Amino acid sequence: MKNPPALEQLIDSLRCLPGVGPKSALRMAYYLLQRDRKGAAKLGNSLENALQALGHCTLCNNFSETPVCPLCASDKREQSQLCVIEMPTDLMMMEQTHSYSGMYFVLMGKLSPLDGIGPKEINLDKLIKRAQDGVISEVILATNYTVEGEATAHYISELLKTRGIAVSRIARGLPMGGEIEYVDSGTLSMALLGRKQL
Amino acid sequence: MAVGSNNQKLSDHRVANQPVYVLHTYPFKETSLVVELFSQQFGRTAAVAKGARRPHSAMRGMLQSFQMLSGAWSGKNELKTLHSLDWHAGLTLIKGEALMCGFYMNELLLRLLPREDAHESLFEYYDATLKTLASEQDSVSNQSLNNSKNLAITLRRFELKLLQEMGYAVPLLTDENDVEISVDKSYRYEAEYGACELGTTKNGVQLSGSTLLNMANDDYTDSQTQNQSKQLMRYLLAHYLGDKPLHTRQLLIDLQGL
Repeated sequence: MKNPPALEQLIDSLRCLPGVGPKSALRMAYYLLQRDRKGAAKLGNSLENALQALGHCTLCNNFSETPVCPLCASDKREQSQLCVIEMPTDLMMMEQTHSYSGMYFVLMGKLSPLDGIGPKEINLDKLIKRAQDGVISEVILATNYTVEGEATAHYISELLKTRGIAVSRIARGLPMGGEIEYVDSGTLSMALLGRKQL
Repeated sequence: MAVGSNNQKLSDHRVANQPVYVLHTYPFKETSLVVELFSQQFGRTAAVAKGARRPHSAMRGMLQSFQMLSGAWSGKNELKTLHSLDWHAGLTLIKGEALMCGFYMNELLLRLLPREDAHESLFEYYDATLKTLASEQDSVSNQSLNNSKNLAITLRRFELKLLQEMGYAVPLLTDENDVEISVDKSYRYEAEYGACELGTTKNGVQLSGSTLLNMANDDYTDSQTQNQSKQLMRYLLAHYLGDKPLHTRQLLIDLQGL
């Protein structure tokens, strides 16, 4: 039996979500249509709304309803520091530390050569412009400590250093309250390599 | 007896303590990853790391490329189930430009190496090349030009080794008619044929006999050898890779433009 075209189209659209294959999409479609029509209408509306209202902040590149997001517009932030992070979730984590009050730049990804994600996809041109606004005196690279994150940090630092901007990278090593007995050997070797003179 | 043979069968599909490198990972279902591994005894293997994208997964921090790990997996289908990954040897620290060389090698392996085709000596060579990349980064960190040159030579050696290991003959000592290459002659090198006398073909790349002989002797000190071997390897790889270009190369071109 063939599904009606409208249902077929819904199933097909749901498949654009990561990790959703034909089976899950079918289940979702049936659930929305049969059990939760209100929820489905709400989902449709908020999707359309979000697509229309949300853009990228011209300063930090995070999602924002206004051209400059509230965080960037705030006068309580340290204007001379710029922290570069991969994803908006990382921004939330940085904010939770309460130990950083500078500005942010969200790349919305990382250089990932094997997936074909290059400098264009992670807005490096926008970052270079942002870092050269004259107010910023230090760029802090807080990309992940994965190989892709490291590569991203390396190329950003090369690009910014040739333009005379001071660049730093967040430290890595033992976690807070970390016990040497239980830490993995990779982290421990990095902690040894990155030791500090007392 | 019957039980014994049954056990034997089960253990056939179980692999433990296998030295591996992670070539690449990509998301699979809600919380899992498909991991492309390059293993010492089984060649390129793909395995599902179940739950590896959960926040507290033990596997999460281990799925790092360019580190020799020891892996355990099972399964009789093409896609295995990964049970564990642990540190196998010490940390190989690859930084900066060398990282991109590592990605390039991984991309070549992913594109050229068929799955479950054992290439033990290529594995050893890959391991040695990563160690070279790590040490080159250390020794000449201030002389970036010199460093790039060394990285390039390291890659040329790897490319040649890869093609030879995969069974693509890259004859460097004799031309297509089995005549020895002469140092001061120029040739056109064509894939599947080898070095051809000038004028016999329009395909391939033109290079001097000395380049071929230097490559055969693993001597890349001469700057003409460096340039011509790069052209030759680029041409040969393009021939075997087909029309889909390499992402890593495109990424480097894009970065140059910034």
